[in-house]
Amino acid sequence: MKTIQYITAVLCSLVFVGCSDFSDSINTDPNKPGVASGTQLIANAALFLPDLSSSPRGEFMAQYLAETQYVGASLYPQESTSFYYWYEEPLMNLQAAIESDDLDASEGPIANQLAMARILKAYFFWNVTDRWGDVPYSKALQGADNFTAAYDTQESIYNDLFNELKEAVEMIEPEKVDNDIIYGGDMSQWQKLANTIRLLMALRLSEVAPARAMEEFKAAHADGVFASNGDNLVFHHLADANNQNYWYNEVVNRNREWWALTETLVAEMKPADDPRLPVYGDPARASGEYTGLKFGEEEDISTEKYSLMGPAIYAQDASIYLVTYAQVLFALAEAAERGWISGDIEALYNQAIEASIAQWTGSTQGVGEFLAKPGIAFEPANALKMIATQRWVHLYMFGYEAWAEWRRTGYPDNLVEPNGVAVPGRLSYPDNEAFNNTENYEEAVQRQFGGDDSIHEKVWWDVD
Amino acid sequence: MLLLLLFGAGIVAYGQEKTVSGRVVSEDDGTAIMGVNVLVKGTTRGTITGEEGEYTMAGVGPEDILVFRYLGYEPLEIRVGGRSTVNVSLSPSTQALDEVVVTALGISREKKSLGYATQEVGGENFTMTNEQNVVGSLAGRVAGVQVTGASGASMGGTQKIKIRGVNSLGGEDEPLIVVDGTPISNANFSNSAAADYGNLSQDINPADIESVNVLKGPAASALYGIRGQYGVIMITTKKGKKGQKDVRVELNSSFAIEKTGNFMPLQNIYGGGSNQAWKTLPNGQKYVDMNVDESWGPKMDGTPVRQVFSFYPQDEEYGQLTPFVPHPDNIKDFYETGFNFNNSVTITGGNENTTYRLSFNDTRIEGVEPNTYLKRNNLGLSASLDITDKLKVSTNINYARNDGRRPRQGSEFGTGYFVQWFQRNVDMKRMKDYRYDDGTFLHWNLRQPDAGTGEITDFDPLYWDNPYFDAYENTNNDRRDRFFGDVKLSYKVLPELEISGAIRSDMFTQNIETRTAFGGNNLPAYTIGKYQNTEMNYELIAQYNNRWDDFSLNGTLGGNVYYRRYSYLYQQTVGGLSAPGYYNIEASVDRPVNESYLLRKQIRSMFGMVSLGYKDTYYIEASIRNDNSSALPKDNNSYWYPSVSGSFVFGELLDWQPLSFGKLRLSYAKAGSDLNPYQIGKVFDVGTVYGEANTLNVPNELNNPNIKPSFAHSYEAGLDLRFFNNRLGLDFTYYQQKNKDQIIKLDISGASGYTSTVINAGLIENKGFEVALNARPVQTENFTWETNFNINRNRSEVVELAPGIDVYNYGSTTYSGVTSYLNSYEGKPYGSLVGQAYQRDPDTGKVLLGEDNMPLYTDATHDFGTVLPDFTGGFQNNFRIGRFSIAAMIDFQGGGQFFSRSKMLAAKTGQDPVTAAMNDRGNNVRDPVEDGGGVKVTGISAQTGEEVSTYVDAKSYYRNTLGTRVYEEWLYDASYIKLREVRLGYSFSDKLLEKLPFKSVNISLIARNPAMIWQEAPKGLDPSEISAGSEAVSWYESGQLISVRSYGINLNVTF
Repeated sequence: MKTIQYITAVLCSLVFVGCSDFSDSINTDPNKPGVASGTQLIANAALFLPDLSSSPRGEFMAQYLAETQYVGASLYPQESTSFYYWYEEPLMNLQAAIESDDLDASEGPIANQLAMARILKAYFFWNVTDRWGDVPYSKALQGADNFTAAYDTQESIYNDLFNELKEAVEMIEPEKVDNDIIYGGDMSQWQKLANTIRLLMALRLSEVAPARAMEEFKAAHADGVFASNGDNLVFHHLADANNQNYWYNEVVNRNREWWALTETLVAEMKPADDPRLPVYGDPARASGEYTGLKFGEEEDISTEKYSLMGPAIYAQDASIYLVTYAQVLFALAEAAERGWISGDIEALYNQAIEASIAQWTGSTQGVGEFLAKPGIAFEPANALKMIATQRWVHLYMFGYEAWAEWRRTGYPDNLVEPNGVAVPGRLSYPDNEAFNNTENYEEAVQRQFGGDDSIHEKVWWDVD
Repeated sequence: MLLLLLFGAGIVAYGQEKTVSGRVVSEDDGTAIMGVNVLVKGTTRGTITGEEGEYTMAGVGPEDILVFRYLGYEPLEIRVGGRSTVNVSLSPSTQALDEVVVTALGISREKKSLGYATQEVGGENFTMTNEQNVVGSLAGRVAGVQVTGASGASMGGTQKIKIRGVNSLGGEDEPLIVVDGTPISNANFSNSAAADYGNLSQDINPADIESVNVLKGPAASALYGIRGQYGVIMITTKKGKKGQKDVRVELNSSFAIEKTGNFMPLQNIYGGGSNQAWKTLPNGQKYVDMNVDESWGPKMDGTPVRQVFSFYPQDEEYGQLTPFVPHPDNIKDFYETGFNFNNSVTITGGNENTTYRLSFNDTRIEGVEPNTYLKRNNLGLSASLDITDKLKVSTNINYARNDGRRPRQGSEFGTGYFVQWFQRNVDMKRMKDYRYDDGTFLHWNLRQPDAGTGEITDFDPLYWDNPYFDAYENTNNDRRDRFFGDVKLSYKVLPELEISGAIRSDMFTQNIETRTAFGGNNLPAYTIGKYQNTEMNYELIAQYNNRWDDFSLNGTLGGNVYYRRYSYLYQQTVGGLSAPGYYNIEASVDRPVNESYLLRKQIRSMFGMVSLGYKDTYYIEASIRNDNSSALPKDNNSYWYPSVSGSFVFGELLDWQPLSFGKLRLSYAKAGSDLNPYQIGKVFDVGTVYGEANTLNVPNELNNPNIKPSFAHSYEAGLDLRFFNNRLGLDFTYYQQKNKDQIIKLDISGASGYTSTVINAGLIENKGFEVALNARPVQTENFTWETNFNINRNRSEVVELAPGIDVYNYGSTTYSGVTSYLNSYEGKPYGSLVGQAYQRDPDTGKVLLGEDNMPLYTDATHDFGTVLPDFTGGFQNNFRIGRFSIAAMIDFQGGGQFFSRSKMLAAKTGQDPVTAAMNDRGNNVRDPVEDGGGVKVTGISAQTGEEVSTYVDAKSYYRNTLGTRVYEEWLYDASYIKLREVRLGYSFSDKLLEKLPFKSVNISLIARNPAMIWQEAPKGLDPSEISAGSEAVSWYESGQLISVRSYGINLNVTF
């Protein structure tokens, strides 16, 4: 039969010009699905959450880790960092879910699916703008409709993100959504997450727009934020190579003992016998003592003399903490100190540390004793410094977030300048934006930095 | 030369028309010639000779003149003069004007009638030194064809071919390869790194090749329509001959040894470590810093130290101090002498109505890298049978089998790391026994000893495996079975009209398996892939040939259906293996990768061609093809491809004695290229499964529902001149090819949500000329000298890209966070290397220095210019002195450039001699600057604008600055002149053979790749071998395999 079919086709080629009718199936891709459900797209975007945190560069920006070998990246070289990944992977998935015409209500209320997608999208975008400054936002994620997206100002992105988060919260219905790998479909958790992100975003504007910051902060607080560590936005890696921790692959699979705790971090934690230190790192193999490596040290490096990352940090199924209750408490303490809200600053500060210790160690035993130690015990005269420094200790391994807080507050105030190079103020835009999106890229660099796409420029909210 | 023989006596009978008959034979060997045109001059009356060369023609008057014409023979005119039997013998034409070449769709044509350039390469060139890859043998032999190969160490690695420059933005401009009319796949299963499995056209047995004709672009290949944009390599295989009474048996045997060459010079003063201070164990013993894979360590001055093996309790030198000395040949010591053993047998024969040829080839190669091999078998059968006078059936069947274990290239694998990350003190001979009796593996790159005990307990390698462990434990195996061939039935409806139908097929199954063993640097793993491809072509063609006096007509009309089905199954373990030595997907610790894939594509075509000649002097030809591709959008999948050409054979009109032939040709054509299926619809990618949750994501490549084929418009003019009885020939071609609306994967701003999109865009224009010179300066009975020289100069320009887009990114490579790109810019030549350059003072051009006196560098946006060569060519000389023959093939390239990561990392890791050179103060650059050491840098201070001349720390300079960030320092000109093949042969005399049962015996010494005569790039890099696996455009080098020189002996015997 097949032969006859081909003979027919040959004849048809000869006699009738064309024969351009092929069966529909021949050009339908059998290898890929043609439709995706909203929750499949959202779950896929959520898989990218840990990548926001798990990055050596982030750790270098906040000076949590120093390099024990191949010292280079921690010297703050002038090089570009791509943001494409965030747009192409999680953000585009979320956008596809938001724009989808065929969301399936049998997976949970469509409004809830949309709300989840919008909250996650806002969270990713917040991280992106904090790292680079102005970035494509309102014209981004439009595929063939716009290959060259203009850069929105960070201020306008913040404004819109506040709005998005509010709208998302408002549309949420109580029923659960399937396939939610973050909160198991519990929509009240998503509401709290959205409000918490708003709260932390608002705090970020404390220097550049204090009035606006206070207003948003109070509104978000009133709407209901995290009330316990159980509310945290955490990504739980699995004991499975397909879903494993970035650091596990680096340290265990690739034998890369390339990172030691910095001298700055150990100096902060060791004198007070911080109960988190045994989780954060190991004692140095040579001395059995917690020993930090000077950030940016190029000569006196070793894997034996310094404290390397703790096993809990690089465990295959480690949890990655992204938005946490302790951050909320530190924020409230700071807001109280700033007079935005009323509250017992010291109590909030102590609760924040307690929540952090509970988060990292799973226990609050001995916290009272720890809180009484010199350097830890709250000193009202140094309130901002103490809050910010302890927040830095808490944010360990989420270097990018800690770096943003450092840029805003200037704490900890003892970060190192390797070879005289200051801690950067931002990431440089992707090299290929200069090729792929030339006009908008140049316009954005000109507008913000007078033409120099340098890592030592500052983003909008970073004012002295 | 023209010889006429008349047999038989004519009966004189004036004034009477009668029937004339006779037989036409070849003057050569007296065999009958079938299909000779017999015409009564001045009329359209004629006939064609039959199988026995016989003809009969009625109504011939005594004054009539009969004209006998046959392709490849001198035409002959004979006055009948009243005879009734006119037997003739035609002499093969020695004149260029009657050369016959195989053109598109396998149509044989007189070369002089063609209005476009084709260049033929004789079969003997493909067996000259037993190169196994047909494409590789084309290097330097065809004007306008650039071949970039892989080292012989790859054993059948990729040989890439570009005809007349890069004609596609994505670089995917490989010509179509056609064997006896059957298009075959030249796919490649390699990546740019790891094992290079080579291009699949290497399944053709070189010994089967009669000739290869290169159709250089659309003018010649327009009849291939949507598959003809990038030219066609037409391969014709050897066949049996009709009427050959006896069976001919040919044996060929060759043996060659393969030696490594061209090692990169490295320093031999400083050993492994990150600085010159000794590391010490708790007991005070000095030890080699085995956790550092660089050579910035202490001087190799014989100091007694603990070397890595002294930490293995199983080692006989456990705990012992041994002198810390250089091993200058440690890299060389790793390689072995390979060999290449090739045996083939051919049986050829035929009788009145059949022809056959059967060939078998067995090749065994053992590579220069330990534990690598390739075994190949080819079996070929071609046969034809005349069922009746008019009906003929013929077939070609080729089977090839490859079984290989190949080395891996690149910066992360195998031997590629030697010059990139290594310790100059490692004694390779000490590494060879890589496994101790208790199963522990010996490695050179381990963690530091325990600070308390001074012992090492964890013997898992840190970043690099012992290369012997890699060679023997982490193996790649590949195996391919391949069939290609055709069955063809042809029927002569009229003497002038033949209709033929053919079924053509190319099918292969490729298996690839990789193993990663326990005890090495990587997680144990196993991958297996089975890839199956079937391409069918169903073809029906009518051909009409006729002459009327001064006019000749050649017409073809046909249809073709192409169907491709490709599928694969690929599996990969995840998270490790459950047990050592158990290489199976079942051993996957976590959910393995499982991919199944299916691709189907159909193209339906019709085509026609007509060529008209007048007085064998003026020719005009036109062709058209219509292609309908299933991969294109449904409403817009049918396109037309026309061509027109003309030639003017003016030589004879000039009547100038030295000029034996002269032809002018002109052509225009349009051909195209479409895309793989499934690039027009909307799809999602399957994401990672998290627990119970299935995920899907939006692909990074945006499909385009409005795609159309790309088109090339080509214009060509040429001049073909032969002088002094064809002793000197000159072929000149000027061409221009405009490649429009290319189907490209355009990188777009990721902010759009996508990495790239498929669009029709761009216009690349290639202009250039080709000159081919051939001469026989000496031609005597005992001495002949033949020489061929060709050169091509091509200029490409990316005239336009997509609206709003002025840069096209072909590819990029990132190391240590620093990226370099191959970009194409609107208005510039194709393929600019882009990366970080020195910052320079605009006035003086001197390098700007920072506050620390280190050179400042730009962003990775500096355009270093195109990677494409200015010109390429070849030079071949053949001498015959008595019974000796000598042939030598040289190919060359001028211009072009590439980036060498090997060279960059050799400097970064302190292995390159510059990192341990003497400075102008007479001290080693590694000595402290304050003690007179340091690297001298001169430039202009960016801070002050003042000239600076000072010394800086060698490691900071080479390792952290130049070797990591300044790509400009590691760009090299790709010009070279290479002696590729040499053959010295001796044929035994007939006299000698009289007593032996042989017809001929030839014994030859062969050398392949014996010498790089000259190259601009530094030693240790081979600019002719930077194919980088499947990379379509060669632009960077990283861990290329070592060069291999092959020397051997070849014996050829026929019975």
